[in-house]
Amino acid sequence: MRTSLREDYLEAILIHTGRYSHPPSAQDLSEALHIDKDEVSAHLRELADGGDLRLRDDGRIMLTDQGTATGKQIIKKHETLQSFLSEILGMDRSSASDEACRIEHAVSDETIDRLGDYLRSPVIQPPAGEPAHSCLRGHQGQSSCGYAQSLVDYEEGQRLIVRDILGRGCSKRLLDLGVVPGQLVVIKRKLRNGSIVVQVKDCDVALSPENASAICVERIP
Amino acid sequence: MKIALIGNPGAGKSLIFNQLTGLGVEVNKYPGSAIELEYGNVCYKNEKIELVDLPGIYSLDGDSEEEVLVRRFLEKDGADSLIVVLDATKLERNLYLLTQIAEYSLPMVVVVNMIDIAESQGLFIDTARLATIFGTEVLPTAAILGKNIDRILPLALSSSQSPVLGVPYDHHIEAALRSLEKTMGTPRRKNLLALQGTGDDAALRDSAGSIATEIEQRHQMSVGQIIATNRHNFARSVAAEVVKQSPEKKRFDLDSILTRAFPGIPILFLILFSLLLSVFVIGSWMESWIVGGFTEFILPPFAALGLHPLAERIGYSVLVAMEAGLGIAFPFVFTFYLGLSFLEDTGYMTRAAFLADRSMHRLGLHGEAIIPMVIGFGCAVPAVMSLRILKTRREQTIAAFLITLVPCSARTVVVAGIVAAFVGIIWAFSIYLIIFILIIITAIVMSRLTPGEQFGMIVEMPSLRKPRIQLVIRKSWLRIKEFLFIAMPLLIVTSVFLGLFQYFGVIDIFQSLAAPITVSLLGLPEYASTALLFGIFRKELAFETLAVLSGTADLGSVMTGVQLYTFAIVSILFIPCISTVAVLYKQLGAKIAILTSAYSLFLGMLIGVLINILMK
Repeated sequence: MRTSLREDYLEAILIHTGRYSHPPSAQDLSEALHIDKDEVSAHLRELADGGDLRLRDDGRIMLTDQGTATGKQIIKKHETLQSFLSEILGMDRSSASDEACRIEHAVSDETIDRLGDYLRSPVIQPPAGEPAHSCLRGHQGQSSCGYAQSLVDYEEGQRLIVRDILGRGCSKRLLDLGVVPGQLVVIKRKLRNGSIVVQVKDCDVALSPENASAICVERIP
Repeated sequence: MKIALIGNPGAGKSLIFNQLTGLGVEVNKYPGSAIELEYGNVCYKNEKIELVDLPGIYSLDGDSEEEVLVRRFLEKDGADSLIVVLDATKLERNLYLLTQIAEYSLPMVVVVNMIDIAESQGLFIDTARLATIFGTEVLPTAAILGKNIDRILPLALSSSQSPVLGVPYDHHIEAALRSLEKTMGTPRRKNLLALQGTGDDAALRDSAGSIATEIEQRHQMSVGQIIATNRHNFARSVAAEVVKQSPEKKRFDLDSILTRAFPGIPILFLILFSLLLSVFVIGSWMESWIVGGFTEFILPPFAALGLHPLAERIGYSVLVAMEAGLGIAFPFVFTFYLGLSFLEDTGYMTRAAFLADRSMHRLGLHGEAIIPMVIGFGCAVPAVMSLRILKTRREQTIAAFLITLVPCSARTVVVAGIVAAFVGIIWAFSIYLIIFILIIITAIVMSRLTPGEQFGMIVEMPSLRKPRIQLVIRKSWLRIKEFLFIAMPLLIVTSVFLGLFQYFGVIDIFQSLAAPITVSLLGLPEYASTALLFGIFRKELAFETLAVLSGTADLGSVMTGVQLYTFAIVSILFIPCISTVAVLYKQLGAKIAILTSAYSLFLGMLIGVLINILMK
């Protein structure tokens, strides 16, 4: 199988899982990638043999650690390229996205890192087609940091900077307790189930997993 | 002269209020709100000063009941002076509220409390610098040690000043504020609220709304977020100027044990179990004294009066109601409140909420719901009252159904008195098991059926501290007063009615009408229906009435084990007691009160019939 096709699959599975919060079926992938369903099944078997994913009994597709890592890498490339094309070069977002889809398979890791450094925008851009910041009026309820990392992705003791707060995280209480963009937070406790205690301005704040996952953060180097 | 205390939760406001006022505190509901405020009068230099303790809040812009109340208080009632209490150990976060209070331009003094704890943590606060920045008097205090508390009132009376600072907001926000001020003629503070979509002026909200949308598109951030960020940044810059931090000594942090899954969760169970066990042991002991006192010293003299039978019947009912109320309120509910208030004041309950969060999610709730549930083990009435801490209607509804099933202390008396005593201790535990299974099934079904979205928990975990016994007692006392206020009148009225029914023979008619259900479906003796009826009035009365009607305290000699077991479980589930129904009605409306009653009646009957069929 071509590398670019493999990467397209992994990317599509990750995006679907993130967006609908359940893994896709072969049918979903066939629609997302515009590939015939029988062909998709064949491809999926090949990917499963390669150790990228596994087919669940209910027909849904779960990525393995290896598959997830590759998929995330591709998504990062896509996002960086798209930002560069649209924000710096001024292309419109959808053609920037199409273009990024083609370049992402060939571009090296180093180029992406350097592009990322170049962009270093204060606000992490969400995936195309989704409301930028769901704290805005009329966009309540959405909650996914898109391609960025949220509080739940880090471990105890990690010092982080809040970049954005989405959907359900947009509670007034959270803002009042000091969880605002630019604020330094430290993860004091993380239970296995995703409940988190963060230290904000010398105060400990306990959060449910769904609130913590709506707080997009960036690691302090 | 009216002076109000205002500040973050846990900043030590209550303790300062307590020290300033001493005795003679009045508790009143603030007009149009369910929240109670404490009022106290102090005499200083021949002047009468009314002191108000406002509820602890994090912000003045929010929609929570407390925030709305404080906002209304500042706008409508005003105060001749505000005492703003800040927590020195969390100064930056506390300054955030101060920046908002400052916008009301009321005369104030600032109290930086817990200065002793801050110093032990290596934090030194330059209060003189803070005073210059804000243009008000700033007094460092340590309420726990009583340090400088005596200086608060004289300072508030002599040198209260309106603060001079203003938060520099984002220039788009500033422009919007100016244009609103010009077009609508409203003050800056109201415009700030309106931009965030709150406030009571609909026209202002409308015109602010369209400006807000524009700003949000430009910033890709909500106006609330921008304003909060501006305030926090301002608070941070002030804190940076006044707080000097020396390297912190590494201290042992109790949270390293308490908030970990292990050993945190076993500790949680241990704490809750010992709370319930001690309430049960102490409660039973006290109850026997109260009931003994009534039967020995009050009822016989009353019987000896030789009144007209009807009058005697009514008088007797009133006395029995009082016996019932006092017998449950002080031994069980009050003891429970003492333990609970103690736990709350240590700050442990937020740790419990954190640990329970995941399991509570499975029940369609979140961590904070553990508090009403735990209270429910003491008594359902205060548990329903505490449902206020759950923010959504959906959570309140689910939790209300669960609370009516949680075995409260009165039901524990039934299980202990009937099942543990006459059937066996294992069987008593099996009843708890059945109830817990029912609670879990109910929760799972309810979380599917109840409309509404589920929100998670965002709770500050205050530092753990040693509770002040006098505050614990006072808090428990206020709560028990509220309980008696709701429960007592109802107990007396219901008791009189039941007494009259008995007098006029209505009870016998009911008994024979209910006989098909009691005897054939549940396999119980006919008089059990009357005992069940009395159980609605007060749960453990079911057990006592049963003993009276069967003519012996040795229930094992008149009923079989299966019958006693069935009776216990039916009377426990059955309709919640009348006080609970009343408080459900008051808190959540008639629909929920009826639904929960009907549901528990249905469950009680269902389980009773099942046991009767299976075990016969």
